[in-house]
Amino acid sequence: MPQPILQLERVARDFFDGKTQRRVLYETDLALYPGELTILAGPSGSGKTTLLTIMGLVLKPSAGDVVVAGERVTHLPEHKLASVRRMRYGFVFQLAELLPALSVVENVIVAAGIQGGQVSADVRARALALLESFGLSDCLGLKPLQLSGGQKQRVAIARALINDPSILLCDEPTSALDAESSTIVLDTLKQLSRDTHRALLLVTHDPRVFPYADRLLKIDNGRIIFDSRHPLPEENL
Amino acid sequence: MRSLVALKILLHDRATTLGSLIGVIAIVFLVGQQLAVLFGLFTFMSVLVDHSGADIWVCSKHTSNVNSAGLIPERYLDRISGLPFVVWAEPLLFGNGTFVTAQGTNESVQVVGLRMPRAAAGPWRFFKGGSEGLLDHEGITLDRLDLRMFGNPEYGKVYEINSVRVRVSGITQSIKGFAGRLVFTNMVKAREILKTPPGRCRAILVKLADGIDRAAAITQLQAMLPAAEVIAAADLSALTRIYYVKNTGMGGSFGFSTIVGALVGIIIITLTMYTAVLQRQKDFAVLRALGARKRDILIIVLLQSLMIGVAGIFIGFLLLSLFLQATLDTPLPSYMPLAAAPVLAVGTLLLCILGSVLAMRKAVSIEPASVFR
Ligand SMILES: Nc1ncnc2c1ncn2[C@@H]1O[C@H](COP(=O)(O)OP(=O)(O)O)[C@@H](O)[C@H]1O
Ligand SMILES: [Mg+2]
Repeated sequence: MPQPILQLERVARDFFDGKTQRRVLYETDLALYPGELTILAGPSGSGKTTLLTIMGLVLKPSAGDVVVAGERVTHLPEHKLASVRRMRYGFVFQLAELLPALSVVENVIVAAGIQGGQVSADVRARALALLESFGLSDCLGLKPLQLSGGQKQRVAIARALINDPSILLCDEPTSALDAESSTIVLDTLKQLSRDTHRALLLVTHDPRVFPYADRLLKIDNGRIIFDSRHPLPEENL
Repeated sequence: MRSLVALKILLHDRATTLGSLIGVIAIVFLVGQQLAVLFGLFTFMSVLVDHSGADIWVCSKHTSNVNSAGLIPERYLDRISGLPFVVWAEPLLFGNGTFVTAQGTNESVQVVGLRMPRAAAGPWRFFKGGSEGLLDHEGITLDRLDLRMFGNPEYGKVYEINSVRVRVSGITQSIKGFAGRLVFTNMVKAREILKTPPGRCRAILVKLADGIDRAAAITQLQAMLPAAEVIAAADLSALTRIYYVKNTGMGGSFGFSTIVGALVGIIIITLTMYTAVLQRQKDFAVLRALGARKRDILIIVLLQSLMIGVAGIFIGFLLLSLFLQATLDTPLPSYMPLAAAPVLAVGTLLLCILGSVLAMRKAVSIEPASVFR
């Protein structure tokens, strides 16, 4: 079995609802492996986004540790975490969240150049290649407003890939898309997961997405209740 | 890339960008226009000193304002002229008078008496005639900008100042005083108008030979004339301006309107820049999630502030130069010394950055996790 690229160790998260403290994620151990498309499914409010954002180093766990490529990053300062995100992560959000002020190409490149410095010709070429492979060659100079939902989401995937991340985290990337665009985006992601070095986590509440999974996780009320990698006897599908 | 993002967002959010620009322009224009009026008044205050052509002024003891200099003995002149390093020394008379217009109304004037033929501290810009007109024993000059006030007196015609016959033998071009409208005449006529006792004058102007150390010359003159005040022309000019700023409440009034101009600008900048960041909260959160550090977000907003600042300063100075152009050769005081422009520009840029502090704080505080909600 390959080494996990991302590990959660006894990770939990509490939120304050006004006065009371509420646990929305209970102690969770989880590892993501390269070359695997993992789907995290569960009803709305079950803690999927909480778990994903902790994995993505944008939310601090209330307890436990996050280990990225063997390095414990839980207590790194904010700017170091940002650098880890830039180097190792790609994010795809529910809505594409492209910057409306930037063109399609700029939206992709920005993820590489955001910490300053000149954007290399390599990065540019890579952005063009990614956009071309997603069938977006005709849209390079367009603004996000001129794109369809499915096109925007594919630009967002290109943006997520520009830094050649080892971890790709997608939070309900198809829930705002029509069936046809959904299929295109999912096919794209599925193809990506065949790149052996990338671990891909796809959060969804839509059971129609499950067939794309190499591995299926189910979460409910802040606990992972099913993992196809380690199925408990009574939980076999 | 950060500067591109900064610029593109500015161009995209035109309304807030325009608002911030207006804030910067307001600072440059309002403050600049106040400064121009103040500097314009400054030139009025010390107009005699600034255009005298002399290096040193000898006045009555403790003179701190050229317009209120007391009388000094004219015989100092011979002793000063005798010094080897003095090229020339000329007496000057000035004081208040009342001009009677053709319509019979009275207008107060400041009469300046010049010794001919040098006419030191005399008019340097003529609309009609020239200083030779003052060789006429009753000749005076009036300024073109004051003609209407004086009931449109005619060139070459006879009028009265302090019941003394005078003849308009020259029209000066935009020469404005602070203590009254300037009327130049010769020494003899001025003495008659102002009833200055014989053997007395208001000041003696001294021109030094080239290459003479001014400070040393002042020391030597002061030692020779202990009862008088020997001052470098530039110092007398500055003292006069300071005197008026301190003693007329002008300093406070201009300070106040300058601060109001700056404040209005800062408030506009603060509100619009903050609104712009609020509008782009999601974008900043996305950038943070993608790996931007707080520092990168700060730099983007700072760059935006600088871009708006530079563009606004450019436009503001264009407007200001239009204002200066429009007030040239009018009775309105307005003058911008070249050295003041960069100070105003840098000051505005600093105020612009100050105005964007709130926006920067907000931008930096945006959590990357907020993209997921
Ligand atoms: N910032 C927050 N403050 C308070 N409660 C939150 C916050 N984020 C999420 N929660 C709560 O945590 C629970 C899990 O939320 P989330 O992880 O977003 O669920 P999901 O993505 O599965 O719909 C929900 O009950 C939600 O209300
Ligand atoms: Mg969610």
